[in-house]
Amino acid sequence: MKSGKKNIMALICLGIFLLAGSAAFGGCQVQGEDSRKARVALIVKSTESAFWKSVQAGASSASTEYNLQMSFQGPDSEEDYETQNQMIQEAIEEGVEAIVFSAVDYNANSEAIQEAARKGIKIVVIDSDVNASQVSSRIGTDNFKAGFMAGEAALQADEEEIYIGIVNYDIHSANGQGREAGFRECIAGDGRVKGVETINVLSTTEDAREGTKEMLRNHPEINVIATFNEWTSLGVGWAIRDLGCKDEVWVTAFDSNAVSVGMLETGEVDNLIVQNPYAMGYLGVETAFDLISGRKKPEEWVVTETILVNRENMFQEECQKILFPFNQ
Amino acid sequence: MREKRAGDGYSLSVIMTVLVVGIVLAAFTAGFLVFVAVYNRSMRNNIITASEQAVVQVTNTVSDYTKNMRELMELIQGYYRDSPDSRNTAIDTLITTRNDTVLVTCYDEKGTLLETWSGGRGIKEQVFKNLSLNLEAVYQDGGMAISKPHVETLLADYYPWVVSIQQPVTAADGSKNLVVMDIRFSQIADYVDEVGIGQHGYCFIMDREGDLVYHPQQQLIFSGLKEERLEFLKDSPDGYLEYQDVIYTIKTMADSGWRVVGVSYVDELITRRVRNVAALLLGLLLLVLLTAICSSLVFSRMISKPVKNLIKAMGEFEGNASDFTYHPVEGSREIGALSQSFGHMVVQIQQLMEKVREEEITLRKAELRALQAQINPHFLYNTLDSIGWMCEEERTREAVEMVNALAKLFRISISKGHEIITVEKELEHARSYLKIEKFRYKEQFSYSFDVEEDCLKYYCNKITLQPIIENAIYHGLDRMVDEGEIRISVKSRENHLIFVVEDNGIGMTEEQCREILEGTCGDKTGIGIRNVNNRIKIYFGEEYGIQIYSELDEGTRVTITMPKIGEGGYEER
Repeated sequence: MKSGKKNIMALICLGIFLLAGSAAFGGCQVQGEDSRKARVALIVKSTESAFWKSVQAGASSASTEYNLQMSFQGPDSEEDYETQNQMIQEAIEEGVEAIVFSAVDYNANSEAIQEAARKGIKIVVIDSDVNASQVSSRIGTDNFKAGFMAGEAALQADEEEIYIGIVNYDIHSANGQGREAGFRECIAGDGRVKGVETINVLSTTEDAREGTKEMLRNHPEINVIATFNEWTSLGVGWAIRDLGCKDEVWVTAFDSNAVSVGMLETGEVDNLIVQNPYAMGYLGVETAFDLISGRKKPEEWVVTETILVNRENMFQEECQKILFPFNQ
Repeated sequence: MREKRAGDGYSLSVIMTVLVVGIVLAAFTAGFLVFVAVYNRSMRNNIITASEQAVVQVTNTVSDYTKNMRELMELIQGYYRDSPDSRNTAIDTLITTRNDTVLVTCYDEKGTLLETWSGGRGIKEQVFKNLSLNLEAVYQDGGMAISKPHVETLLADYYPWVVSIQQPVTAADGSKNLVVMDIRFSQIADYVDEVGIGQHGYCFIMDREGDLVYHPQQQLIFSGLKEERLEFLKDSPDGYLEYQDVIYTIKTMADSGWRVVGVSYVDELITRRVRNVAALLLGLLLLVLLTAICSSLVFSRMISKPVKNLIKAMGEFEGNASDFTYHPVEGSREIGALSQSFGHMVVQIQQLMEKVREEEITLRKAELRALQAQINPHFLYNTLDSIGWMCEEERTREAVEMVNALAKLFRISISKGHEIITVEKELEHARSYLKIEKFRYKEQFSYSFDVEEDCLKYYCNKITLQPIIENAIYHGLDRMVDEGEIRISVKSRENHLIFVVEDNGIGMTEEQCREILEGTCGDKTGIGIRNVNNRIKIYFGEEYGIQIYSELDEGTRVTITMPKIGEGGYEER
C-alpha cells in the first residue's frame, strides 16, 4: 500500500504541474487573441457630407467597442461606382473579414460585391442597397416609407393647387429611387396635385442648385419641391435663397447638416426628413462583428428610424438629439 | 464464506482509480468553488473600489471645472463694470482663448438680448428660438444657474451642444442684468472619455432631473442604440448599487447638483473569467481522469495482478500442499518481498509436513515392532506343555519335530529385527505354526498350500499369515464337528501379490467381518488381524491390505494384497 500512496502523491503533483502549465498556456492564448484584430472595410458613397461623417462616427464607435480594425473610404463623387468597385477589390486583396457597404449603383456594384462574397467576405449593406443575394444584412432607412413621409410633408403646403418639382440624384441609386417611389405613392392620392416635374442631377450642391433654378425658371408654377439627399437638399436651399422665393415654394428636403438646419430656421427649407446615420454606421459595423465572430445571427433587415423635422419641433429635446450630432 | 467475499469485492486498481478520481474531483470542485467565491468577492470589491475612485476623480475634475467657470463668471462680472469697449475686447479675448466657451450673452431683466460676445463667430440675424436663456432659472448658493444640455441656437450655422451658466449681475449704471455663458465642456468630455473602469466600464454625468450632461456614448444614446437607466439612477442615493450585473457608483456634486455615475459590468469581468477557469478545470479533470486510468493500469500491473497471482498460488497451496511448487510472482518491491516470504513459507510448511509424516511412520513402526515382539504366552506354554507331554509319552520324534517347528517359528519371527522378509520365509513361518497347531489339535484339521513359484522371491511383512491362520483355527475350526480344512494360496497379479487364507469353518456375519477390520469389537484375535492390516497400509499405502469374505456355516476367505517388492526394495520402506 505504501507504493499506492506514492502513486497518489505522484498523481497530485502531476495534477498541480498540469494546472500550472495549462494556466500559463491559457494566459498566453488570451494574449494571443488580443493581438489579432478582425478587419472591416467601410465603403460608402462619399466621405464629405455630414451624413457620412455621422455614419463614420457611429462605425468608429462600434469598432472601438468590438475591438475591430476599421477602414473608412468612399469616392469623391457620389456617382463614381468604379472607384467603389476598386475599393472593394482592394479590400479583398487586403483580406478583410467583412465589408460594410453603401452602393452608389444598385447594379454596377453588384459584380464586385459578389466577387467579395465568393472570397468568403461577409457583406453588410447600409443606406443604399446593391443587387447581390449574398448580402447578410441590410441596415438603413426604409426608403419607401421615408419617401412617403416626405410626400405627407410636401402635401402640408398651404396651396389650392400643388405643382411639384422633384430634384432627385443618380437614377441608378437604389435609395433615391425608393424614396421617390414612396413620395409618388403618397402624392398620387391627393387631388390638389396638378403636376409633377422631375429632374435628376448629380449628387452635388452645385449641380442641384443649378438644376433647381433651371427647373423653377422653366416651370414657374412649381410651388412644392421635394429632394432626397443631403447635397441636393442644400442645392435646392441655395437655389431658393438665390431666387428669394422661400415664401412661395414649400420645400421638403432630406438629411441634416448645419447649413440645412440653418435654412430650416430661416425658411428656405420647410421640412427635413432626418435619418439616423450614426445608427447605420454603428449597427453596420456591429453586424459585421456579429457575422465575423458568429456571436449571433444578424437580422436580414434592420430599419433605422427617420423623423420629420420642421420649424416648430426642431428645438424640441428629442429632435435636438437626432438633428444635431453631439460630437462636433 | 471467504471465497465469496474475495469474489464480490472490487479489485484494488478499480478502488484506486475511483479513489484518485474522487479525491481529485472533490479537490477540484472545492478549489473551484473557493476560487469562484474568493475571486467573485475580490473582483467585486476591486470593481467597486475602482469605480469609486474613478467617480471621485471625475467629481473632482468636474468640480474644479465648475469652480473655474465660477471664476470666469466673476471675471466677466468684473469686466462688466468696465467701459463697453474694453469690456467687449476682454470678453471676446476670453472666449477665443478658451475653446470651451462658445458664447456670452447679456439680457435685461425681461430677457431682452442686450449684448453678445461670440469670439468672432457670426450671430444669427434673426434668432428663431433662444435655448440659452431661462428666466425661471433657480439660482444656487453661488448665484449661478446651470441649464440642461441643449443645442446652441444663437450662432449662425453652428449648433454645438452646450450648457448655459446664468448669473444676475448689476451693471455700472445700477440696472440688474443677466449674464449667460454657454460652454461646451469638451474639456470634461475628453476627461470623462478617458475614464475607464475595468474593460468596458465608464463614467457619465447626469443632472438632477435625470438628463444626460455628458456621456462617452452620448450619440449612441441620442440615436436610440443604447439606453442608460436614467430614471432608475435619478432616484438612487449616492454610493454604489448593483442592478442586473451592472455596478453603479453614484456621487452627487455639491455645487452643480450634477451626479457622476460610474458604470461597470460584473458579468464581463467575473463571469467570463470564471467560465474560462471552469473550462480549464474541466479539461484538467479529463486529463486527470486519463492519468488516473493509466496509473491504475500501472498500479494493477505493479500490485493488483501480482497480489491476484499470489492469492491464486495460496489457493492452490491450500488445496494441495504437498505437491505444490511455488513460482514467485513479479511486481513492486513490497509484493516481491511478500512473494519471497510466501515461497519460504511454502518450503518450510512442506518440510514440516514431510517431517511429521516421517515421524508418524517411525512411531507407528516402533509400536508395531513392540507388538510383534510380544509372544502369546498361552501359545508358548500350551506348546511347551504339549512338548512336555510328548516327551513323557516318549514320542521323541514328534517332540523333536515340535521343538524344531517352534524354533523356526521364533527365528523367523525375529528375523534379525527386519520387518520385511521373503514370501518363502513367511510361508515357512506359516507352515511351522500350522504344524504346531495341528499337533495341538490332534489332527482335527488339515491344511494345504498352493503357491506360485515366482512369488517366493518377493518380500512381504513378516507374521502376516499367522494371525489370520490363528483366527481361522480358534474361531472357524475349533468348534467344528467335521474335520476342518485350511487352504493357503499365493498368487501373482500384475504387480501385486495376492495371499488367500480359506477355511470351511463356521464363518462370520458381514457385521463381524467389518468389526474385525475396523476394530470396534474388543475381541483379542481381532487385534492381530487389524495389526496386519495396519502394518501393510503403513508400509505400502492405503490401497493395500486385508479383505474378508465370509458366509455362516460355509467358511471364511481372507485376501491380503501387497505390492510386488523385489530384493532391496524393502529397505527404502
